[in-house]
Amino acid sequence: MLSPTHPFQLVLGLVIWSVWFVALYGGLSVGCAVAPPDPAAGALTWLNALLLLLTLATTLLLVHWTLRCWRGASEAGGGTVKRFLTWVASGVHLTAAGATLAVGLPVIVFPPCV
Amino acid sequence: MSDARTEEGGTLEQRFERVWSNLPGWGTLAAVNHTSLGLRFMVTGVVFFLIGGLLAMLVRTQLALPEQEIISADVYNQIFTMHGTVMMFLFAIPILEGLAIYMIPKFIGARDLVFPRITSLGYYCYLFGGLIIASSLVLGEAPDSGWFMYTPLSGSAYAPGPGSDFWLLGVTFVEISAMAAGIELTVSILRTRSNGMSLRRMPIFCWYILAMALMIVFGFPPLILASILLELERAVGMPFFDVAGGGDPVLWQHLFWLFGHPDVYIIFLPAAGIVSTLIPVFSQRPIVGYRWLVLAIIVTAFISFGLWVHHMFTIGIPKLAQSFFSVASMLVAVPTAIQIFAWLATLWTGRVIYSLPMLWIFGFLVVFVAGGLTGVMLALVPFNWQVHDTHFVVAHLHYVLVGGMLFPLIAGFYYWLPHWSGRMPSAALGRWGFWLTFIGFNVTFLLMHLTGLLGMPRRVYTYEAGLGWDWLNLLSSVGGFIMAAGVAMILLDIALHFRFGRPAPRNPWNADTLEWATDTPPGSYNFVSLPDVRTRHPLWEHPELPETIAAGEHGLARIDHGRRETYGSDAVTGKVREVIHLPSNSWLPLLAALSLAVVCIALLVRVYPVAALGAAGAMVFLLRWSWVNGAHPQAAPLKDNEPHQPPLHSRTCDGPGLWGMVVTLLANGTLYVSLIFGWLYLWTASPGWSVPEGQQIPLVPLIGSGVLLTLTVLFYHRVVERLRGRDATGLQGKLWGVSILGGAHVALLVWVQMSAALSPTELAHDALLLVMLIYLFIHGGLAVILSVLQAVRVRLGYINSALPYEPVVLRPFWVYTLGVFWVSFAVFILLPMAWGGA
Repeated sequence: MLSPTHPFQLVLGLVIWSVWFVALYGGLSVGCAVAPPDPAAGALTWLNALLLLLTLATTLLLVHWTLRCWRGASEAGGGTVKRFLTWVASGVHLTAAGATLAVGLPVIVFPPCV
Repeated sequence: MSDARTEEGGTLEQRFERVWSNLPGWGTLAAVNHTSLGLRFMVTGVVFFLIGGLLAMLVRTQLALPEQEIISADVYNQIFTMHGTVMMFLFAIPILEGLAIYMIPKFIGARDLVFPRITSLGYYCYLFGGLIIASSLVLGEAPDSGWFMYTPLSGSAYAPGPGSDFWLLGVTFVEISAMAAGIELTVSILRTRSNGMSLRRMPIFCWYILAMALMIVFGFPPLILASILLELERAVGMPFFDVAGGGDPVLWQHLFWLFGHPDVYIIFLPAAGIVSTLIPVFSQRPIVGYRWLVLAIIVTAFISFGLWVHHMFTIGIPKLAQSFFSVASMLVAVPTAIQIFAWLATLWTGRVIYSLPMLWIFGFLVVFVAGGLTGVMLALVPFNWQVHDTHFVVAHLHYVLVGGMLFPLIAGFYYWLPHWSGRMPSAALGRWGFWLTFIGFNVTFLLMHLTGLLGMPRRVYTYEAGLGWDWLNLLSSVGGFIMAAGVAMILLDIALHFRFGRPAPRNPWNADTLEWATDTPPGSYNFVSLPDVRTRHPLWEHPELPETIAAGEHGLARIDHGRRETYGSDAVTGKVREVIHLPSNSWLPLLAALSLAVVCIALLVRVYPVAALGAAGAMVFLLRWSWVNGAHPQAAPLKDNEPHQPPLHSRTCDGPGLWGMVVTLLANGTLYVSLIFGWLYLWTASPGWSVPEGQQIPLVPLIGSGVLLTLTVLFYHRVVERLRGRDATGLQGKLWGVSILGGAHVALLVWVQMSAALSPTELAHDALLLVMLIYLFIHGGLAVILSVLQAVRVRLGYINSALPYEPVVLRPFWVYTLGVFWVSFAVFILLPMAWGGA
């Protein structure tokens, strides 16, 4: 598993967010093209449930990485480049988690294909 | 100036100058030096800004009063299209690239960018592409479909003249320049920093430019692909955006805005970098929240790629999808706010010096915050629907772009003016320039919000009287001319300062960063010696650095070898790993760009044999370019007395070329993913998508071609691994073997292409398959040619166990070629078969 001090951690959280975002929008589009749920069902559809599950799972993954990096920041010596990397990386993961939840939450409100 | 003497040949500076200076006279066109080319970029950008500004004045003249016929509707369409095109593609992006090209090596304590010939090629592609686009105005054949060239309006049915072709070919030509800058700035910032300048000590400006450069790498390829597809549709009838042929005009919108929205931040981030550089200097304290700023930069760079659909809220996308983009559009305000609060906190806790550059920074804060707020309003879907395509949107985008880019840029110009001229600007004229521009801008665009809310649509050449828009338009036009007077005042100030400006002392603003450790104006090598950097504020903590650097008291102060050298350092720690030897003056970039200009013009007038000749010429010049590298006699031939601790980069297995290759492939991969997006999008969303019966591409030869490619890459990988272990036994023969195997793969691929039963001018499905096959052919073919050249270079002694670098650099290209082959096979061939219809 990638170390919390690896420089790729600076972008990993938002790379995960980007992949999730493409999966969310792409999944919605393909779902609506292939098997559109009944509009009368509102937000209570298999598609919404799937997207919500994806959102929650991604958020949890990002929170996990936030904690790992935060612990890494605590362990790294003060004033070192490793501490800097892990601090910024934990911020990136946390921001990505927040962005995932905020962007994904409308799936509990809107019907998917109208 | 230091008077450090050496045993022969004058002062150190004079000896460095002999190695680093441009050729005299016309030879200056062969310059590859970042200082010269950065300045040329910026001067050219200013010229295009004036052209774009003139077009804006024509627009405001026409709209000043209702029912005017000063300009016809057709000409008006060309003018507003060209205003947007020139300002976005020929001014905003290139001038910021130019600033970054000029500044970055000086900020990080390097002597040049890491790929100087690419800097030169980028400049000429920008210049020639810009001239081609601008010439359309003179010829009266300018594009007239708006700067975002929506299809079908820009297609051959509604835009039959060459206007759209000027845009598509010219902008793609200019984008070579942007990609070049994106790649070399990324690698330069990561790999050529001063010894000890770790990521946490890197000047904040470099973080901004690094983000901008990587955003260019990922942001521009979708537009490059879209432009190629639309030009193919216009030139040969491949119906990518034509519903009747299974295409979809909305695909263009997706691809355009996948580029277009990040582009706003590609423009904003470097400008914010100027703000983050100037505010601490004029507050005389370090920036507050350096780590928070770095976090905000990274978050902005990513989130800005998730907003593109907010430009398309009115096209009939489901509400749920709109909500994703609406929330993301609001979220991007958060990292922007972090930056604004960091700037305010720095000002609040510092001792602010209210000099001329700071006036522009305060103007930026006011205008940009207002533009940001209307941006959040536009992120709300119902409000967006209400004001879509009105002057409200025009006002918003100008607040964001002029406030967020032009104001900081002018602040930066005034700040770095002594660096370019050695003289200080005039405070009096400069203040007149600021206030005229600031007042004129707000009179023009603040009122335009109201014009838009009252319902005036954008892109109309005139309007009826009595709709409530008359006085607003008149005042907007008056404001526009006041702003133009402000710009004229700034230009006058800058022109006069070269003659009358007070000579600038060293480090005139008491700045903390290394660019002020050079002479003003700087020598072409920036620094005689390269210092260690153990702080984020080198000049505040070591004010003696300019003198000790000039006296040659730091690293790499030798020049008797005659090479242009700078340090190559670790991307994270900044610890020196190698000495990078850089190419000297070269005509090859100019010749390659001229050949590409021939291609561009020949495609424009549709003389395809000439285009093919131009492409062949460009290929010859670029291959010659690749030839004069590494241990070539004109580069850095192997010698007995060369440095080993650290070694020259071409003697290692991890030089900047490898990083450049990987970053280039990231851009290339983005283009390829955009192609896959187009395929999947049309497949699922195009109302007329049609799949022909039967298997059009012969499967067995295609798989055979893939197997040959796989064997080739495995073989090449094995050769490179041996070479990395300094075993060059039979290297030439092995590389010939790789070339022959790879050649067989390409030959089979050509046969597949020739025997495929495709109708690319009738079906978008077939057209995309053909583009995919051509893409694979180009990659396979290029990899084979480069491998052949390497085999020849082994024979000449440029590659051996002591010089393993070049095959290591080429390996990722072979691996990428293999990857895209099998991904293409899966996505374009297997997936449709599994889905039931290929």
